[in-house]
Amino acid sequence: MSDETTLQQPTEYQAESPALEAWRMFRRNIPALVGVALLTVIVLATLYGTFIYSGDPFEIVWAPHEPPGMTPEFPLGTDYLGRDIIAGMLTGGGPTLAVGAVAAAITMVIGIAMGALAGYYGGWVDNLLMRVTEFFQVLPALLFAMVLVTLLSPSLFTIAFAIGVVSWPQTARLTRAEFLKIKNLEYVTAARAIGARDKRIIWTVILPNALPPLIVSATLTIGVAILFEAGLSFLGLGDPNVMSWGLMIGANREYILDAWWPVTFPGLAIFFTVFAVSLIGDGLNDAFNPKLRER
Amino acid sequence: MTHLLQIEDLRVTFNTRYGEVTALDGISMQVSEGETLGVVGESGCGKSITALSVMGLIPSPPGRIAGGAIRLNGEDLTKASEARMRELRGAEMAMIFQEPMTSLNPVFTVGDQIAEAIMLHQNVSRDQAFRDAIALLDRVGIPSPDARARDYPHQLSGGMRQRVMIAMAVSCRPKVLIADEPTTALDVTVQAQIFDLLNEIQRDFGSAIILITHDMGAISEMADRVAVMYAGRVIEEARADDVLDFPQHPYARGLISCIPALGKGEMAETLAEIPGVVPPLHLLGSGCAFADRCSHRQGRCDSEQPRLIAHGHHPAACHAVEEGRI
Repeated sequence: MSDETTLQQPTEYQAESPALEAWRMFRRNIPALVGVALLTVIVLATLYGTFIYSGDPFEIVWAPHEPPGMTPEFPLGTDYLGRDIIAGMLTGGGPTLAVGAVAAAITMVIGIAMGALAGYYGGWVDNLLMRVTEFFQVLPALLFAMVLVTLLSPSLFTIAFAIGVVSWPQTARLTRAEFLKIKNLEYVTAARAIGARDKRIIWTVILPNALPPLIVSATLTIGVAILFEAGLSFLGLGDPNVMSWGLMIGANREYILDAWWPVTFPGLAIFFTVFAVSLIGDGLNDAFNPKLRER
Repeated sequence: MTHLLQIEDLRVTFNTRYGEVTALDGISMQVSEGETLGVVGESGCGKSITALSVMGLIPSPPGRIAGGAIRLNGEDLTKASEARMRELRGAEMAMIFQEPMTSLNPVFTVGDQIAEAIMLHQNVSRDQAFRDAIALLDRVGIPSPDARARDYPHQLSGGMRQRVMIAMAVSCRPKVLIADEPTTALDVTVQAQIFDLLNEIQRDFGSAIILITHDMGAISEMADRVAVMYAGRVIEEARADDVLDFPQHPYARGLISCIPALGKGEMAETLAEIPGVVPPLHLLGSGCAFADRCSHRQGRCDSEQPRLIAHGHHPAACHAVEEGRI
């Protein structure tokens, strides 16, 4: 009886993709979840806030520099022209986030394309593309972006474009480094040995394996781009026809000693957004990095 | 009789910081349909470079085919275009790598990877390719292939992964299958299973197999013919039994005496070894590359490169053999 071994039916385990595994790790990361929650609140507020609290952010509705909490209609007060600050916050969030996301997307597309080709082909292609990258890297980013925005006339897209154009070199270098590392791994040679062409090897063999650090970098780029947009708006190079948090700060900066609130509230909004994005980026980094995973 | 794959006087050079070094110095070997050619030698003697040359995968630059020919069914691969090579790779010839741990792409399921290989050369739908992949996994002896096809490489053991690699390599029934140390990373019991599988595959598909190894045991089990390589040259070439039973070149003798003989009476106190290491290629002189490590070295060995010619039993490149000293 006792020498009869019961053969356990092998439990059918769920095949887990690397992405799924990373998600499982991410879900356990409290700060990252706080970041997700915070960003969700901010995005929902900017998307749907105007349905609840409607108001034209450009319209002069009250006396200028009404402090927050003094008038029930305008809980956060008014700015130097007597415009409602809450209305500005809610409508200005969308463009701010959009510029951040579009700029990050442009950064990723240019950076990954340049880095992938340079890293994969090496030789003169690498030399050429890396010299171009260095050229863009040594230009003072803010000045260069200002020149681009001025030349192209400020609009949300040109601002996003300018930010993308000055930010991609870092992504290119990161992508190149990943490609240099991965292209000599055996599974790349194995892919070549079954007859795969360069295009396929670059985009479907190497890139998916290079993605984790790039996703982290893309997330952090969104935060940087939002700050950049605020900086440009602060310097008066924002799109004057579209309310954004940066524009609010830029417009009210001259009166900062008379009234702190028109600058502080959009500033806090930017701070929390970038903070949330950074928490998510760090969380993704931990989730993708097997060395940081505790089992 | 024409051979399926014929390597003729192949020379491969690499540009290094020591200048141009010759990694393969005029090697010739051939393999016919259904035959297994074993290529043996220590690390760094040019076995893997030979394999990569046939596949057209020499990293170039710095590598370059400087002369000779590789004929597959009469077609010279050294002159084939990259597009033609891509057609041939995977379809007519395929390769199994040493490290099953790293030769599968970690982010795709093994079924997807085999299906990709099939779709590269055959005009079939993704669904059909995936079904074919499952059939191949079954063919290479993977239990419940349906479920395993949806596994990622890290979920499989080394032996399983090597089976997956073999499934991928034979997915288009290649005529030539190159196995570059396919069992070095696996433990001995799995090793025997993989050899059995390769033998079965060869019987079913009639492939020619080039087995690259430093393990004489593997040679005795698998190979019909053997080419012994040393420092970029073939120094002895013959039927496997001949090389194993009557090795000519001192290096081949050394390799064979390194096989521990079990059950042959008393155990030898120490295992035989060949003193020294393969010399760096850029330091090769005009003489025999093995001279420094050879106990039969004489004046001529330092000045004159021995040629691969038959002396009595079968071809070996050694002055001492040529002169009848050993």
